Amino acid sequence: MRRFDTAAQLLAPAALVVATAVVGSFTSRATEIYFLTAICSVGIVVAIYVFVGNSGVLSFGQISFVAVGAFASGVMTVPLDSKRGVLPDLYPILRDHTIGNLASLVLAAAIGAAFAFLVGVPLMRLSGLAAGIATFAVLEITHNLLREWTKIGPGATTLSLVPETTGLTQAAIGTVAVIAVAFAYQRSRFGRSLRATREDAAAAQAVGIDVHRQRLWAFTLSGALAGLAGGLYVHMLGSITADQVYLELTFVTLAMLVIGGVTSLWGAVIGALAVSGLDSFLSEAEQGVGVGFTIDLPQGARLVVLGTLMALVLVLRPSGLTGGREFGMPRLRRGGQLPTDATSEGAA
Amino acid sequence: MSDSPAVLEVEALGVRYGGVAAVRGLDLVLRKGEIVGLIGPNGAGKSTTLHAIMGAVPVHTGEIRLRGRPLRGRTPEAIARSGVALVPEGRRIFAELTVEENVRLGLAGRRSQEGAAAAVEEAYALFPMLREFRRRQAGALSGGQQQQLAIGRALVASPDVLLLDEPSLGLAPKIVDIVFGALAEIRTRGISVLLVEQRAQRTVAFADRTYLLANGEVRLTLTPADAGDTEAMVHAYLS
Amino acid sequence: MTGPALVAALDAQTLVDAVGLGAIYALMAVGIGLVFGVLRLVNFAYGQLIMAGAYTLAFTSQADWPTWMGIVMCFAVVIALSTALDRLVFRPLRTQSPAVMLVTTFAVAFLLQNVALLVDVRDDTIGEPAASVASLNQAVRVWGVEVRKVTFVAVAVAVVALSLLALILTRTRIGLQMRAAATDFATARLLGVRANTVIAVAVLLSAVIAASVSVLLTVQNPLVAPDFALKETIIVLVGVVVGGIDRLWTATLGGFSIGFATGVINGALPTDKTVFLPSVVFALVILVLLLRPAGLFAGRRTSVVERV
Repeated sequence: MRRFDTAAQLLAPAALVVATAVVGSFTSRATEIYFLTAICSVGIVVAIYVFVGNSGVLSFGQISFVAVGAFASGVMTVPLDSKRGVLPDLYPILRDHTIGNLASLVLAAAIGAAFAFLVGVPLMRLSGLAAGIATFAVLEITHNLLREWTKIGPGATTLSLVPETTGLTQAAIGTVAVIAVAFAYQRSRFGRSLRATREDAAAAQAVGIDVHRQRLWAFTLSGALAGLAGGLYVHMLGSITADQVYLELTFVTLAMLVIGGVTSLWGAVIGALAVSGLDSFLSEAEQGVGVGFTIDLPQGARLVVLGTLMALVLVLRPSGLTGGREFGMPRLRRGGQLPTDATSEGAA
Repeated sequence: MSDSPAVLEVEALGVRYGGVAAVRGLDLVLRKGEIVGLIGPNGAGKSTTLHAIMGAVPVHTGEIRLRGRPLRGRTPEAIARSGVALVPEGRRIFAELTVEENVRLGLAGRRSQEGAAAAVEEAYALFPMLREFRRRQAGALSGGQQQQLAIGRALVASPDVLLLDEPSLGLAPKIVDIVFGALAEIRTRGISVLLVEQRAQRTVAFADRTYLLANGEVRLTLTPADAGDTEAMVHAYLS
Repeated sequence: MTGPALVAALDAQTLVDAVGLGAIYALMAVGIGLVFGVLRLVNFAYGQLIMAGAYTLAFTSQADWPTWMGIVMCFAVVIALSTALDRLVFRPLRTQSPAVMLVTTFAVAFLLQNVALLVDVRDDTIGEPAASVASLNQAVRVWGVEVRKVTFVAVAVAVVALSLLALILTRTRIGLQMRAAATDFATARLLGVRANTVIAVAVLLSAVIAASVSVLLTVQNPLVAPDFALKETIIVLVGVVVGGIDRLWTATLGGFSIGFATGVINGALPTDKTVFLPSVVFALVILVLLLRPAGLFAGRRTSVVERV
């Protein structure tokens, strides 16, 4: 029975993603994009969860790795003849070579991991407020570099002509892979050690867990998965700009994770699908949608709704829709939530 | 003394931290003008009891009454303003404020600002050192001086009940004498004192009554006459 | 650009403008620092309070209200919005970790920005002009330097506001209680300090400052858009963290320094050389957080900013 429960914790989120893909395949081309976006969002949010959920450390910077993965794999798959014309300033190694779809996804994951490792070595010493601000700084730096450095990418212009190789199949497979890796990690010795530090870093250290190292592993893995998700994302859109992987995406994916439940994989997946669904519905509503009667929302309303929802969840039910529990887990006495910081001198 | 009205009553108090009962079924009474001691081994629940009275930790079961009116469920600042003052463990003075500012801060607990200046004068009279150092940064004071500051700060609120959490902790014997002397003086002003202490013998000899706590409940009630009887105390500590 | 060339490019004009900018950023830093002190909450949405004030000025200007009335309305709106935020968002979150509070203010910031977008876009353009206060943007020549009137006003407002605040904090009872609460809220409450009162006063002072900044910034940028003050808020937050968020004076100094530095750099360097400036600045922020988590101006003290 135990083994079935454990398997269910992996199969349920994976099955949900696959089901989304299947349903999406029966819809029109116009609506298919919503399903694709939903599945890609799951990948990104799970990648974020691998670090934030397991360590309890807030990071605003995970989208940097999505960005790096997206741009790297995007730039390297633009057809050679177009590339020389559209991106003449690139370093020769980038400009004169093109790689295949699968290779570009591997590259995306590798670059995401490398960048995350580089950033993580110094940053994983920080917690709480400092970590939030430092990772925000990483996001800003990444955005700035991607936007201005024309030797590695298109700079302020859109990177286009990226082959749209991410259909429902690739998206589903890629995202299920991300979920599987996340699941394997959280059940591994590394994942469990890190979760121990989430509850009480000092106690974990006393038991011999190297907090810095465990956080670094999770951060790097998160970077790899985020990079992969970025690779899937750019091949879904066929193009990418630096602003598409910046503040708004950071906010939306963080909202997805919080609303679903920060401390569980199930929460990450549920949050991503639910919010994505809502977001798509609101996008349609902004153009007028018929639900028996017509809902016609003004432009920009969807972010207001999303922001309100996120704020409401944080204030009223910080543990999210899933209560921070995995699929099928019974209600714990203290359901998972972002831990209250032992050093915070709030007016309790 | 036993026919004085009860100023503070604690009935069947229960406090839990997580799944653990820190205090269970505690009854104690503090009458007007009394000094009551609360002793016991570490983790017995003495500090927790004081914090529960002040509303700083949530009360699971039981009642707490000040002059007959319930305290349970009120905010710490409301309780402080009702006439209960706490001298916390470790003093908890504001190191970067001056001594005078620390004392003035205690005025926040007064029921009425009338008489504030007089209260400050009384505190300085009780602890002349405070007046002498009043412009110094509180963090520059020694442990004993900080303890005097913490008590003075609590007194300017003109409380009916003064709670002290291990005031002699880490202090030299000479300073401990000053503190206990001050407590005796405080009693003559009509303030009732609940004193949590580690120094069992001295407390039992000094207080009108002393409750011995172990494992969250009262095991013994002692009077100064019992001060020499270590056997009973050790037995209660260890049980 | 080489060092000596940089210094040569610093003329009195740039310095004066930089001081003006520093003054405004110092005010913003104080506004953020006050609330942080009592709530341990970094209000990401502070810029949106300023934005709301700016929109008020814009709409009252378009409705042909006299300038002074528009300014009064601006203060009223900012204070009201700030109080609402405190009651609805900050207070319920008091027991949560700083990370949760930061994320929530992040969400609120996004929310308010998009609400503004909804309101702004009704006339099919983004951006509302606020003409009435624009007269302060005219310049006077002082000792051969073109100084805009608003720069004088900014510095004057900053000096007055900071002095008043210092007086309130050091000489009044509520100021004493605020300082105590910022150090050790729990003990302050045990002494009888009313939590809600102290927080409300801090929020009020912070809002008044936000409204002042609103007026000052609108004068300099009379076209109000939903992202009004967003960039400035991010820069000020950086300055505050780098200066040292734990203490009010280090936060203020941090705000002023980064404002002054920004003014100097933007004035001295041509635009094409400043594209990578954000990267440099943020890299420095990370460096400071790693080496001196309490901030550049702080002494050796345990910090709210923890390290593992």
